Amino acid sequence: MSAVVFARHQITPAERLRDAGWVAFVALILGIPLIGLTTVDAGGSLEVSTRFGLLAACVVAAFGGRLGLRWMIDTMGARKLERQRADTGKSVGISPVKVVNVIGWIALGASIALPIMYSDNRYVVDTATTVLIYVMLGWGLNVVVGLAGLLDLGYVAFYAVGAYSYALLSTQYGWGFWEALPVSGGLAATFGILLGYPILRLRGDYLAIVTLGFGEIIRIILVNWTEFSNGPNGISSIPRPTLFGLEFSRSAAEGEQTFSTFFGIDYSPMHRLIFLYYLILVLALLTHAFVSRLRKLPIGRAWEALREDEIACQAMGMNTTNIKLSAFAIGAMLGGFAGMFFAARQGFISPESFTFTESAIILAIVVLGGMGSQMGVVLAATLLVLIPEFGRNFSEYRMLLFGAAMVLIMVWKPSGLLSHREPTLRLSRGGARNQDALEEAAQ
Amino acid sequence: MAYALQQLINGLTLGSMYGLIAIGYTMVYGIIGMINFAHGDIFMVSAFIAVTAFTLLAAADVTSVPLALTFVLIVSIFFTSAYGWAVERIAYRPLRGSTRLAPLISAIGMSIFLQNAVQLTQGARVKPIPPVIQGGLEVWSTPEFTVQIGWSQLLIIAVTVVMMVGFTWLITQTPFGRQQRSCEQDRTMASLLGINVDRTISFTFMLGASLAAVAGVMVTVYYGVIDFYIGFLAGIKAFTAAVLGGIGSLPGAMLGGLLIGLIESFWSAYLWAEYKDVATFAILVLVLMLRPSGLLGRPEVEKV
Amino acid sequence: MKKTFLAAACIALGALSTPALADLPVAIAGPMTGQYASAGDQIRKGAEMAIADINARGGVLGEKLTLEVGDDACDPKQAVSVANTMVNKGIVFMHGHWCSSSTIPASDVYAESDIPMATVSTNPQVTERGLKNVFRIMGRDDQQGLVAGNYLASHFKGKKIAVLDDKSAYGKGLADEIAKAMTAKGAKPVLRESITAGEKDYSGIVTKLKQAGVDVLAYGGYHTEVALILRQAQQAGLKLTVMGGDTMTNSELVTAAGPTADNVMFTFSPDPRKNPDAAPIVEKFRAAKIEPEGYVMYAYAAMQLFEQAATKAKSTKYAALEKAMRGGTFKTVIGDLSFDAKGDQKAPGFVVYQWKDGKYDYAK
Repeated sequence: MSAVVFARHQITPAERLRDAGWVAFVALILGIPLIGLTTVDAGGSLEVSTRFGLLAACVVAAFGGRLGLRWMIDTMGARKLERQRADTGKSVGISPVKVVNVIGWIALGASIALPIMYSDNRYVVDTATTVLIYVMLGWGLNVVVGLAGLLDLGYVAFYAVGAYSYALLSTQYGWGFWEALPVSGGLAATFGILLGYPILRLRGDYLAIVTLGFGEIIRIILVNWTEFSNGPNGISSIPRPTLFGLEFSRSAAEGEQTFSTFFGIDYSPMHRLIFLYYLILVLALLTHAFVSRLRKLPIGRAWEALREDEIACQAMGMNTTNIKLSAFAIGAMLGGFAGMFFAARQGFISPESFTFTESAIILAIVVLGGMGSQMGVVLAATLLVLIPEFGRNFSEYRMLLFGAAMVLIMVWKPSGLLSHREPTLRLSRGGARNQDALEEAAQ
Repeated sequence: MAYALQQLINGLTLGSMYGLIAIGYTMVYGIIGMINFAHGDIFMVSAFIAVTAFTLLAAADVTSVPLALTFVLIVSIFFTSAYGWAVERIAYRPLRGSTRLAPLISAIGMSIFLQNAVQLTQGARVKPIPPVIQGGLEVWSTPEFTVQIGWSQLLIIAVTVVMMVGFTWLITQTPFGRQQRSCEQDRTMASLLGINVDRTISFTFMLGASLAAVAGVMVTVYYGVIDFYIGFLAGIKAFTAAVLGGIGSLPGAMLGGLLIGLIESFWSAYLWAEYKDVATFAILVLVLMLRPSGLLGRPEVEKV
Repeated sequence: MKKTFLAAACIALGALSTPALADLPVAIAGPMTGQYASAGDQIRKGAEMAIADINARGGVLGEKLTLEVGDDACDPKQAVSVANTMVNKGIVFMHGHWCSSSTIPASDVYAESDIPMATVSTNPQVTERGLKNVFRIMGRDDQQGLVAGNYLASHFKGKKIAVLDDKSAYGKGLADEIAKAMTAKGAKPVLRESITAGEKDYSGIVTKLKQAGVDVLAYGGYHTEVALILRQAQQAGLKLTVMGGDTMTNSELVTAAGPTADNVMFTFSPDPRKNPDAAPIVEKFRAAKIEPEGYVMYAYAAMQLFEQAATKAKSTKYAALEKAMRGGTFKTVIGDLSFDAKGDQKAPGFVVYQWKDGKYDYAK
């Protein structure tokens, strides 16, 4: 937040009213064509109908809302100023790293306990599984965007490659989940390199559009190449993963045992859901461990160096080609694993699940969470999955709220929810500045 | 031959439309260096405004086509530029000076918001208007095929040329254009020299939105049917066009738009229509491999 | 903060999933928002009316029905989420989903949780996967395509026919079946192409049709694209007759295509509005200012199916219900319903319709 506070002059109520009036006027202009007027179908042609009452209500709401918002910002600003004055000189002892770590452990504990607490509630376990898929995707994309600083708008392509390779391997060749896991990841990584190679020279937004195009190309091919991917019909009856050969079904195939008969418990469809949940939890944790480890290795340092200054990297004699390609490949591989799990969980995939919107949401998770922050990804993924789910109760406003939330969070915290970024290499000192950042995050 | 000519006309019309939207992208990109993902949705909003305006005119029994078009254009440009202004003020201005990705995400959020806001307030059903301009010119008639160019197609191409010339003049010859270009080059220096940067950026957004409004009216006139979803595809195509031509360059955006229109129509005319988007993106990748900053873009020189 | 957030999330998740305090919850699911929202709306109106009527008769087995509405926006992932929500709400019967691509993954969830469902999705895969709980009260794409293909081959002999689809699961399946049936009757399509749904510019494909001299277009897909193609064909001076599937029942087609909509023919189950037994219900809908078009009557019939099956089984438990549904014949507003071993309706019967002045009727 702005550190410099200029001499504040007292803002008069009249100024506030004028400001709110201006906002209300803008709301009126914006509201006339969409809220005030609407076209309705009247027997084969359109007719204009008016909703000026609603428009007036919106304008009044804008006026009141603006006044309230300003008042809130003013009081909060004043309070913060006071606190800053009171705090000067006092330095806080605990390091932010520790706090984040503690929170991480709590979150981990909560996520392990969740299916036990909700062992009879499909919806909760299933939604939590979705959250974890997005967490894993976010961590994968974080390698490309957060660490290596390469803007990728087509990440969903690797997700699709992972999902389709498992779907095809299992339904066509009878591969199991565990045999297919390395192959799917490897295929996705190959695609990552294939995409990375031609666009090594591109920067910034040129990179963004090409990756976007790559994602679309993969999707269009999946839709149209029917012999290969079964086209828009998708692939159904994808086998579910097993626990060391134990199936999660009511009755097992010839010579196999089911999970419930093996342990001598009653069959319940919840067993599989809970198993899937723990499976993705383990996969996600492995991803986390893997990425954190990589960050401490030369390759991870090279990614971050590349993000900060490509020219300096070249000048230092680093091989930027390999660094970029390895970032793409590893990011893609993690996306492939997530996609594979997605296919195994859904049991049905079709190209509709791999649209650009999906890429945008994954990217939003990384950026909203705070680029490069692993915990931030968890927080953002939870938010972005739960907002539309909560919205189910007021169905038509669901996506409207989702879009508004994305804008508001970004405006409120431009560098992400957990923007604090821990330098990989650091001198040992806890900073008061970092503590501030954390407090802000906690508000 | 006649068939190819007809597809050429189709491609030029489509390309002009992409070009119009792409110029808006490019102007915004040029001044603040961000991809305005909500631009396609602003275009969609303008099309809805145009439908409402046309319906109002029909109810008022206005039959003169030029009069109706002028009225709809003015109304649509007015309200759409208000939207352009508001989007910048709400979603982008607070993020100026933060990371490059923050405004991108906020733009994606804005795009989702606008799409759903329109769906809620105007309904999910498609909005049709009766054909405004009918008929056309028979350009060439062979026994098996008659090449036609509709008046509405001619109108679109003509309007695009006028807009292109007008905006080039605006950017290169007027005081506003000079301010705009100076903000592109160095915002801090520009503000030190007494240029109101905020106002210049706002005005650029309004200009971009006006172009989207013109495109929105043209789409409504030409296709006659719109829905709340049209912004998404058009936005992606126009963005591709802007990058293909070299983002930041006005003639580049136009060239990119036309190229994509032509690729799409010839690819679907002679090859497999279902793979036309693959062709578009593949050509984009090829061009960028050879010229990393697009066809007419200036290569970025980075000083160390 | 994180901790409170997690705790809040857990509590909220719990709160969301509390089963509704209802006597007998039944559910509908479909696209209540998004591009196909108008179909979802029809389903909702039909189901609401049916439930009001059933409750007025004293409910099912003495218990009142309550309606749960799920919105999947025709997205497979959301469909699974909706299905899980519905399972948690303890529903005993599901009418849905609407899009085949949503019905297929969602039906797995209902199958696991022992919930019978009656759907109007037409993709063959819906019932081909051997799930015991899935019943289809509508015909299948392969039957639909056969009727359309045969009609085209016999009524448009010697005309040039092109087959087009929109690459959706529904559209492509239907178009493939139409092309197969036509070819079997010796009328090979002159052109077989796909378009991208959601675009606005189809002038390229229209020009291609014009070049090939096509008179009749068989189209697998939704009505919005048909309207655009017709408008652009008219602009290009091409007169087209279109043959489509059940999605063309949507009156939006007429609004969007204008007078050219009169050239649209489509296949759909025999019009339930013409069913003399259904006349009082039709009157009731019209009195409530609802035109019982499209899927309205199907939703009504699905609820009737549940009512009668439960009464017959004297239970709302899955096993009894499923047995009753599979074994019996049910008198509904869309005619007599009975099911084969796969769960497909036994007498589906598609009829060819044509739009005329904003209404559709059997084609001559």
